[in-house]
Parts: sequence; C-alpha cells; structure tokens
Amino acid sequence: MRSDPADFELIAPGTLQAVVALLADKPGQWLPIAGGTDVMVQYAAGKLPARKLISIWNLPELQGVETLPDEIRIGAGCTYTELREHNVIAEEFPLLASAARWTGGIANQNRGTLGGNIVNASPAADSLPALLAYEAELIVVSARGERQIPYLGFHTGYKKMNLAPDELIRAICLGRRFSNYLHYARKVGAREAQAIAKVCIAALGHLRDGVIEDVRIALGSVAPVPLRLPEVEQMLKGKTVGPELLHSARETAAAAIEPIDDIRSTAKYRAAVAGNLVAEFVEHLGAIARQREPGTSNTLARWNFLPATAAANEILPCCGSRAWADGIVARRPLPDEESLLAASDEIWRSLPESDWLEAFRSHPRIGESRIDESRVGESRAPKLAALQSATWSEQEQQGVADARDSAKIALAEGNREYERRFNRIFIVCATGKSPEAILKTLRRRLENDDHTELQEAAEEQRQITQIRLRKWLQG
Amino acid sequence: MTNTSENRVKCELALTVNGKTETVRVYPMERLLDVLRQELGLTGTKEGCGEGECGSCAVLMSGKLINSCLVPVLQAAGANLTTIEGLAQGPQLSALQAAFLECGGAQCGICTPGMILASCHLLDKKPKPTLDDIREGLSGNLCRCTGYMQIFDAVMEAARRSPA
Repeated sequence: MRSDPADFELIAPGTLQAVVALLADKPGQWLPIAGGTDVMVQYAAGKLPARKLISIWNLPELQGVETLPDEIRIGAGCTYTELREHNVIAEEFPLLASAARWTGGIANQNRGTLGGNIVNASPAADSLPALLAYEAELIVVSARGERQIPYLGFHTGYKKMNLAPDELIRAICLGRRFSNYLHYARKVGAREAQAIAKVCIAALGHLRDGVIEDVRIALGSVAPVPLRLPEVEQMLKGKTVGPELLHSARETAAAAIEPIDDIRSTAKYRAAVAGNLVAEFVEHLGAIARQREPGTSNTLARWNFLPATAAANEILPCCGSRAWADGIVARRPLPDEESLLAASDEIWRSLPESDWLEAFRSHPRIGESRIDESRVGESRAPKLAALQSATWSEQEQQGVADARDSAKIALAEGNREYERRFNRIFIVCATGKSPEAILKTLRRRLENDDHTELQEAAEEQRQITQIRLRKWLQG
Repeated sequence: MTNTSENRVKCELALTVNGKTETVRVYPMERLLDVLRQELGLTGTKEGCGEGECGSCAVLMSGKLINSCLVPVLQAAGANLTTIEGLAQGPQLSALQAAFLECGGAQCGICTPGMILASCHLLDKKPKPTLDDIREGLSGNLCRCTGYMQIFDAVMEAARRSPA
C-alpha cells in the first residue's frame, strides 16, 4: 500500500546546526533523509515507520572530500558519483571506488550517499566491507558536540548501530597508509552492477620477503552486519602461501560467518563462496610473492593486483581497444609473458569490428607519429595512456622518421588515398620496416576488398599489440 | 501513529522545469514524479517500478540524472529540472530524439523518455562515448522491447553527429 504524502512532514532547515538542534529537541522523532535511495523505497512501499523527515540533502557541511596529508575526510553527503570521480579515492582507496561503481545505476549513484549507505546498515551494502578493510573512522555530530569513532564495531546487530537518536554521521575518515598494499575486491551476484551481492569481499594485503606481513579481510552479505575476519587475518600473518594455508583460510572463513537463506542465495552457497573468495585472495597474494622472486616480471606482478580500472587504463595503450583491455584484465592473474601474449591474441580475435576500429583510431597516421593533443581528451583513455601510445608509435615509426622527404611525401599521399578508400587510417606494424617497404604494402592493400583489408589491418594490429606488450613488460 | 494537523499542510514551492519557473501547492513528501505529471501536466516522465530500479521516471536535476520517483519534491525546489518535454526546440527535435526515431530506439515508448535523458546526461559528460560507456550510462534504464541494440545505435549516432 502506497504512502499518502499528506501523512508526512518534511522540512529542510538548510544548515547542520539547525538540523542537529531539531534532532536534539525531539530525539528519535525525525528521520534524516539525504538522497532518498533507501528511504523513498520504503516510503513508496508504505513501510516507512517515521512520519517526520528532515532533509540533509545538499547540506553544505556534509559535502566534499577533504584531502589532508595523512587522511581523507569524505563528507557523509558525498554521492557515489562523487566517490567514483575523486582522484585520491580512485588511486589510494580502489576498494571503495569499485564499490561505488557497483552500487546501483547512474541515477542512483547521483543520489545515494556514503553516510546514507552506512546508516541504512544493509549487511549486503557494497561499500561497507571496503570501509572495514581501510579501518575507517566516523565523525559523528550532535548538538552535544562531535565524537570520532572507529567504524569497526559501529554496527551492533542487524540494522542496529552505535548512533544516538540525536546524532548524524558528518564525515568518514580514511588513513592514507595503504598505497603499498594489494587491494582485492570482488562481488558475487547475479550481475556486477544493479544487483545486490550474494557475497562480496574487500581485502588488503602486504607482503615482505614473500611473507604475509599484514592483511585485512572484510565480507558483506554473510552475517547480520558487514564483517571483518580477525581470526583469518591472525592465522595468515607471518605465513608464506601454500596449499595448507589456503585450506585453513577457507575453513576459518567459513566458520567465522553466519550466513542466511534468503531470496538471493542460501546459507550453504554463501559459506562456500565466502571461503572461496578468501582463498582466492590469499592465492593472489601467493602469486605475487612468487612473481617477486628473481627472474619474473615485476610489471606483471604489480599489474595483476591493481584495481580493474587502473589495470585496464595501464594496459590500454598496448592495443587501444577498451574491450580488449577489459577482457585481458578479466583474465588476471596472468602468471607470465607467455600467458599474457596468448590471452591478448585470443581476446583480440574474438572482438567485433567496432572494437577493432577503436584500436585503429588510437594510432597516429604512419609518418605522423605525434598524437594530436586536441584528440586526447575525446578518448575514454586517460591522457597518460594516450601519451604512452604516442611514445610507442614514435619508436615503431623510427624507420619512417629517418626517411628522405620524398619518401615521406609519398607515404602521406598513400595515407590519404587509403583513408578515402577505406574511411579509416592505414594500420601497419611498422617496427623495423623502411618507408619503401611500408609504401609497397600500402599499395598492395589498396587493392584489397573491404573484408580482406579489415582482416589484414586487424592482423597488423595484433602484431603491434604483441610488440607493445613485450615493451611494457620490460618497463 | 497519530498525525497532528500540522503534518497535513501543503506548502508553496517554486520549481524550475525546462527553464520555466512555476509555483505549485504540494505536500513536501510528494514524489517529484507525481508533481511533474499531475500538477504540471508533464506526462512525458513515466512511472515504471516506482522504486528506483527501472529509470522510466529519470529526469535531470541540476544537470544530474536522477529517478524522480525517489525524490521528495521539497528537495527539487530551487534546482533546474529538465524533462523530456524540454529537449525539443518547438518542432525541432533534439539530436538524440531524432536519432532514437531513426534508429528504432523507441518501441512501446515507456522507457524512452528516461533513456533519452540518461543519454543526454552521458553525452554531456562524454561527448564521444564508447559502446561500453553507453552500456554503463544506460545500465539503470530498463527496456523490455528493443533488446537495447537500437538504443545503443541511436546514442552512438547522436554522438557521431554532434560537432564536439
């Protein structure tokens, strides 16, 4: 049964001081509402117990992310969109950035707030395990003053929390001390976005000389509250990863949780998946430790554990296709060069034409290896990736750069003819080729029919990608 | 729960919709969706699920895509709102509207206004989106007719035609 708006009061005092004064005046009578993505759903269903609401949407004191040398303070009113778009969060707190990306669609990310997500206290919320892993602290405000409390222990039971009726969360503080950690997040659900998790994990690990020095593991959807797993963490510290450790991590995790049967999953499934996720995280730590041994690629070891977006951005200039980059990131961890190169070929060949064309567009014309700076901003590729691609293009086209002017002019004319004929730039794997050889290839390929030429260009791009991947691995 | 009479008071709010400011007498907890449709007669904004899952009621509030079923109207006071009715210039369709028509991006039409506003929001942020950008940008808008491909084509086409 839908609620009748006439039964409800809603006010928007406009300042934090006025809001906390009202909360103090009649504790427990007012329900704060920020972006409404939870409150309005209950209201629509006629299940909202409160009748008096106080709007804290756009309250200036709850806005913005304050970046200090040792910590960041995220205003409780920050939306998921703001979390996703914040550089420091993306770089230093990728578990939170991933969770923000997974939560709802764009419209709900524009309204849902981090403070709201905390007090809504869903054990399935995507962002809460990340806050546990980063050992967030909450600044809580009331007319009585402010207090700063650890987020760990904030939830005391299902939808119960350490927050008095006259208090509001003002900010969430995260210490900037995790840049040397491996960040691992995974959500298991019907879909990654727009579906509530069956189980989700946020974990951090730090290795020294192949030994797990520090580790934090948090799970969602496995207990009445989002859960840190201190038993598993204690068990892992000081150990090197081996099959026995994986087995005990899985068993200890499964014993530490209290999952339930509900519409999304069963307790049995959740316990098995939670154990698997913890074991997978530990396995990844082990893979890193092994990769750090002499003779293995540091680049690959590091890249295997970057958050997905950062990993895709880093590898993107090797090819230029976003779908390729996402595809290869999804295959991680890749243990060595051979498996990386094989995965690249396989993914590249499976892509539709539109993704091939995207890769082709990321290249400068042959003979014009400097990328057009004005085009850099257009691409979804970050600027750094575009510049990396341009540097590689210059190296690959060294033969052309050194050529006589007449050869360069002939090549420029050939390029124009090719573009008229096929409506895209001429792609050729130029490494080690003279301008004369390239021109000869170009003339031959002008005779190709559309289908043959597309396949040939894709093959050239495949070779370029292989060369660039090897360069990237060498650092 | 007893209600005091003070709870039942309507208030006057100024709403700026599609560039025009109008005063409405409403309960502050009325959904923006209902006020647009019933008080202002802007029935282009559709109700689908009524719980923020489907995107049919999406409009722009201060340039940001939001689901109007989840916004109490009081929170929309003072913001610039754009609904589907605000996109065309007289008989001249916006580039996105024209592309949706040409590419077959609209069938039954219920999801279409929300789809177009979500696309507007996307192109505003990323004038030249990739297919993945489009998929993500429209991931909160459900369509049960088209199978989405024609919608993605339409957004791609509108982006291609824009001079930016």
